[in-house]
Amino acid sequence: MILTGAEIKESIRRGEIKLDPFDPEQVNPNSYNYRLGSKLKVFKEIKDDIQIFEDVVIPEEGYILEPHQMYLGHTAETIGSNKYAMSLIGRSSIGRLGLFLQISANLGHTTSSHKWTLEMVSVKPLKIYPYMKIGQVSFWENCGELMPDQFTYANFNAPQEAYIRHNNILGVS
Amino acid sequence: MILTGREISKNVEDSRIRIEPFDHARITTNSYDLTLAEEYIEYTSEILDPRKAPEYKKCTIPVEGLRLKKGDFILASSKERVGSDHFVPIIHAKSGIARMGLFVHVTADLIDIGSFGNVTFQLYATLPVKVYPGMLLGQVTFWTPKGEIKLYEGKYQNSEGPQASKIYADGT
Repeated sequence: MILTGAEIKESIRRGEIKLDPFDPEQVNPNSYNYRLGSKLKVFKEIKDDIQIFEDVVIPEEGYILEPHQMYLGHTAETIGSNKYAMSLIGRSSIGRLGLFLQISANLGHTTSSHKWTLEMVSVKPLKIYPYMKIGQVSFWENCGELMPDQFTYANFNAPQEAYIRHNNILGVS
Repeated sequence: MILTGREISKNVEDSRIRIEPFDHARITTNSYDLTLAEEYIEYTSEILDPRKAPEYKKCTIPVEGLRLKKGDFILASSKERVGSDHFVPIIHAKSGIARMGLFVHVTADLIDIGSFGNVTFQLYATLPVKVYPGMLLGQVTFWTPKGEIKLYEGKYQNSEGPQASKIYADGT
């Protein structure tokens, strides 16, 4: 089952969901609108089979995403739950502007809690602003016993590029 | 929990789900198939800025089809008006459409409970594809909510045809 807005608020009160900072104005009928944090990583090049990203701070006056370029952003909020699984996507107002946001990896595991890294690709030149409401997170009930904490990206609070490269999955064995 | 096709049918009959027009033949095991309406929107603004109303033109998909080039992005809509005050709808492409390289949404598949209207499709072509008015394009699933329900009263309520982004109205 997916939590309604009222149930999200109740769950925060009971300590089962963390949304920090929390603003009741950002609660939707069955999700919560999260905001874009100010740090951005811009893909630059491949060097020795490793993806190199450059750090950028999104200025107040906005930053233009180039079409078909890959960017990593992050949520301004710490988002997590020790009880529910999460799905993190873009808002429809953002999708309508052609921004792919978390299109392939939208699942948030129960027990993770952090500022999420956002994978962003725009199909048009699109301006983004720090702290704009960019996406929504929904919360889903689990069926079955939870496994204890596992190794995840859970400790990261800034945009974080993939771990895969450390595992030599790019073929650099 | 996700509703089965039979449960979707039953809830349409009980008016707990609204799909208008409704055709029993479009019920699948876990979803209902949505068709593509004629009208579409193409942005003409050089840069899309969430603080400004976007410029766009409204066009019609001809009966003989509309060619989309790789990388083209348009907003179209479902012919059907869809919504529920009791379940949460989620929009998906039909798998045959996705396999052609056409995405029907780029990020926002989740619909608010209480929202009703034509579904705006965010059509993005990753290959050259042709689309036709009335073709089976997407599907909608329905999910049970947990908790007290407060219905959607947002800016896209009662949408008729494709709706461009109204994010500028948020004061981003």
